[in-house]
Amino acid sequence: MSTHHREWPVVLGLAPVMLLILAPFAWLVVSSLKTEAEIGQADPYAWPADLMWRNYQDAWQIGGFGELVGNSLLNLAGVVLLSLLTCAPAGYALAKIRFPGREWLFYIFILGLTIPVQAIVIPLYQVLFGLNLVNTLSGIVLAQVSSGIPFGIFLMRSFFMSVPDELVEAAKIDGASHLQILTKVLLPISTPAIQALVIISALSTWNDFFLPLIVLISPEVQTLPLGLVRFASTYASEYRLVFSGTVISFLPIIILYILMQRRFTEGLTQGAIKG
Amino acid sequence: MLKFLAGSVAALAILAGGAVANAQTLKMWGPEQIAEPLVAELWNGIKADFEKANPGVTVEFMPPTGTISNGAVQAAIQSDAGPDVILTNSGIGRITIVRNAKQVMPLTEQYEKRGWKDQIYPWLYTELKGQFGGEIYEVPDGLDALGIWYHKDVFAAAGWEVPDTWKGFETLLAAIEAKGLQPIAIGPRTTGSAGHLFGNLLQSASGKETIGQALRKEIAWDDPKVATGAVRLQKLIEAGFIKKEMAGLDLDGASRLWFNKRAAMFVAGPWFTANARKAGYDLANAGYAPMPSDLPGEAIPTGGVGWSWLVPVNSKQPDLAMKWIDFMLSDAVMKKRAQAPASTMIYPRELKGIEPSTPVLREIFAAAAGGVGYNPSVYLPATVLDTYFQMIQGLISGQVTGAAGMQQMQAKMAEAK
Amino acid sequence: MTPALVLYAIFSLLPIAATFWLSFNSSAGFNTASAFVGLHNYQATAADPIVWQSLWHTFLWLIYHVVLAGGLGLALALAISRLKVTQVFFRTAFFLPHLVSLAVVGVIWANIYDPFYGLLNTGLTELGLGAFTQGWLSDPALVLFSVNVASSWQGFGLYMLLFIAGLQSIDRALYDAAEVDGASSWQKLVHVTLPGLREVTTFVVSLAMINGLKGFATVFVMTNGGPFYQSELITTYIYRLAFQSQDHGRAAVLCILLSLLAIAVTIAFNRWRTRLSR
Repeated sequence: MSTHHREWPVVLGLAPVMLLILAPFAWLVVSSLKTEAEIGQADPYAWPADLMWRNYQDAWQIGGFGELVGNSLLNLAGVVLLSLLTCAPAGYALAKIRFPGREWLFYIFILGLTIPVQAIVIPLYQVLFGLNLVNTLSGIVLAQVSSGIPFGIFLMRSFFMSVPDELVEAAKIDGASHLQILTKVLLPISTPAIQALVIISALSTWNDFFLPLIVLISPEVQTLPLGLVRFASTYASEYRLVFSGTVISFLPIIILYILMQRRFTEGLTQGAIKG
Repeated sequence: MLKFLAGSVAALAILAGGAVANAQTLKMWGPEQIAEPLVAELWNGIKADFEKANPGVTVEFMPPTGTISNGAVQAAIQSDAGPDVILTNSGIGRITIVRNAKQVMPLTEQYEKRGWKDQIYPWLYTELKGQFGGEIYEVPDGLDALGIWYHKDVFAAAGWEVPDTWKGFETLLAAIEAKGLQPIAIGPRTTGSAGHLFGNLLQSASGKETIGQALRKEIAWDDPKVATGAVRLQKLIEAGFIKKEMAGLDLDGASRLWFNKRAAMFVAGPWFTANARKAGYDLANAGYAPMPSDLPGEAIPTGGVGWSWLVPVNSKQPDLAMKWIDFMLSDAVMKKRAQAPASTMIYPRELKGIEPSTPVLREIFAAAAGGVGYNPSVYLPATVLDTYFQMIQGLISGQVTGAAGMQQMQAKMAEAK
Repeated sequence: MTPALVLYAIFSLLPIAATFWLSFNSSAGFNTASAFVGLHNYQATAADPIVWQSLWHTFLWLIYHVVLAGGLGLALALAISRLKVTQVFFRTAFFLPHLVSLAVVGVIWANIYDPFYGLLNTGLTELGLGAFTQGWLSDPALVLFSVNVASSWQGFGLYMLLFIAGLQSIDRALYDAAEVDGASSWQKLVHVTLPGLREVTTFVVSLAMINGLKGFATVFVMTNGGPFYQSELITTYIYRLAFQSQDHGRAAVLCILLSLLAIAVTIAFNRWRTRLSR
């Protein structure tokens, strides 16, 4: 009762804060619908005389955003799938199988959790080059999966550790192999962990800039953030295109988020706290 | 069945191999702005002519992701999926980087064999010959000529003119400032752009001979004879003729001020016509004048080799790349480019009887006809370039004085081999 | 197990080891021969004033990020966690900036900060607050902070979610007991809420510090380290040395420095956390 009563003052207090925090979005969207001359007037409160939807059409075409979105999605799908395929079994082994060197291995993975990818970038580039993977989406996928592996393994391991040993033992007595235990017993009850892994690896891949900057050279393999930065510096003298291109680059994920926000929120908090 | 399959696979392989041997692709890094209709029209025409003259050859343009300065060219060469021939911003500093990384072929022999030597200005050939102990790694495509761009209508309405003396220039700046306009716009976050204005100031204050000596390390950068230009920049900043805020702008952010006529002057080269066209600026209104100088005969544009052709060591089509360069140096192509409305530079040899189609280019060609001074950005050693550009940013943001900045330059120059 | 280990060994462990090797060698680029030079790269790094400057900037950057993004995240979490009807709405709205890639954030905020056309200066002028306009990206005292605001605008959403989760796990009974004792809202905040958040806070701070150490994209896009190195971070300097100047030896020394910093932060916070939970 009493809490309900207090809600409106808080809402009123939060409204201007929200306005301030979301102002960049509003400004971008309004500017993206102006003509070049209107942008040149430098009045952020002015409304465009005609809504220039053409800006979006032009930016989409000139910037090749269709290709960029496609590359980003391929990149994301590859990383998410491969992360699940590698981290789930490894997490299982570290949580439920006793083998010599387990602790030792665990610490090796801790090392990777702390070292930022910027700190290993020169040799990483050389490795990718040696494997002929520079300027390919598969190269970037492998590098990103590897840098995400320590976190993924931690996440899966700590979730599997919370599963009672009895469940695993019972399956073993029934003659189940490790693979069967993993796929038939553990994974079906691991939705929260899988959800967390999917969302966290998807978001970090979607946002990655550093590795693509170094590895993806040709425009036809580039992902959205890199493509937008290139587009913005090449077409900087046409600000209507820079603004509409920028909106294009974040609109898909914002729509996706609003549709799935509950899963998103659960996955992120779960994952961050467990990992 | 199996045999048949194997047989057809082999046949296919032979067919495919044969096709590959005939059909060749030349991947060319460049040109910039190929998405622009005028640029696309010109280059697609050149490409078609080359393909017609060389049956079976396809030319493929790779839209550049940057230059040597930001590592894009190196990355492209390194990736091996890269280009067979490259057109990019050059100058000895940039070329040194890719040459030291052993990424580009020496082309010295080709200059003799293919007669390139006689297809560029003699002074240009001598200059290139002197840079790496006789080895040449680039073929110049275009030269730069940096000077002051101004709006003819604004200047006419206010009765302004670009004056002959530095004193007069300062008076002009004050008059523009009093009218509520930005006297000069600059975008030093784009490093090259920082150097355009600065090079102009050095030339105007010290003259070509002295700046040349400084670049050859025959005179110190912090010698007052050289440092005057830097001190002048410091004074322009202090007087508010160039706003400190501009230290955070890039070339496009600054040129937007000029295109919208919020700024009266801008230091740029012939390539600025491309930017102006994209921004919808009426090029008939653009005027051009070299930076005024008190030294007789020193009011000249600055410049140097702006763009060059390079051949990467891992070019898959080195012979074809050489043929392409032959083609680019040919009279037909060079005249075609010089007359095209998309033309944005000075060509590496004299083209008699060619009138550029954009009026401001005529003014630029006339100003550069008597030779150009040095734009240090394209002559400084690679290891010094970063310091040079950051020092200019430091000057514009009011962090260093002209004298202190030039001392840092001198320290870095002394280290350079 | 094996696929994970193989991938990890090739793309993470091998490069870690190779970075050490590189730091003792000189090399002008990927194609050139390298030579063993002992500690030369380390000496050159120590003598380079820009290294120390970028180290200091990185330190400031961490602090700014923890205070701005962590602080805003905490404040908003406190404000909306007790809302019933509108909590999901606000949580969703406040989280939106986190979905924008940092590189794109750089493009957006570079335009916001444009001194002549940007949202900030033109918005202030139109409101009659022209006196507050700044050279956000050109003032040496301001530039690092300005860029950090952009990064923190993108970062706070995640920290807010974590704080909300932390608040929800505080035992309601503690509040009831405090109310019985007649505690004011302020007293409840200081004596119940904040102590209850201690563990989440250490976690958020360590996460924010690691994220801060990795900071690269916004600086690269907005200032590229300038003006006059005033926003150079270790990460951007690594990029400058390794991929622009092709000086791999010195870049490798900085890579090792960056790794050591990250390891130190992690160990320190793990200690702190275990001490708290004891």
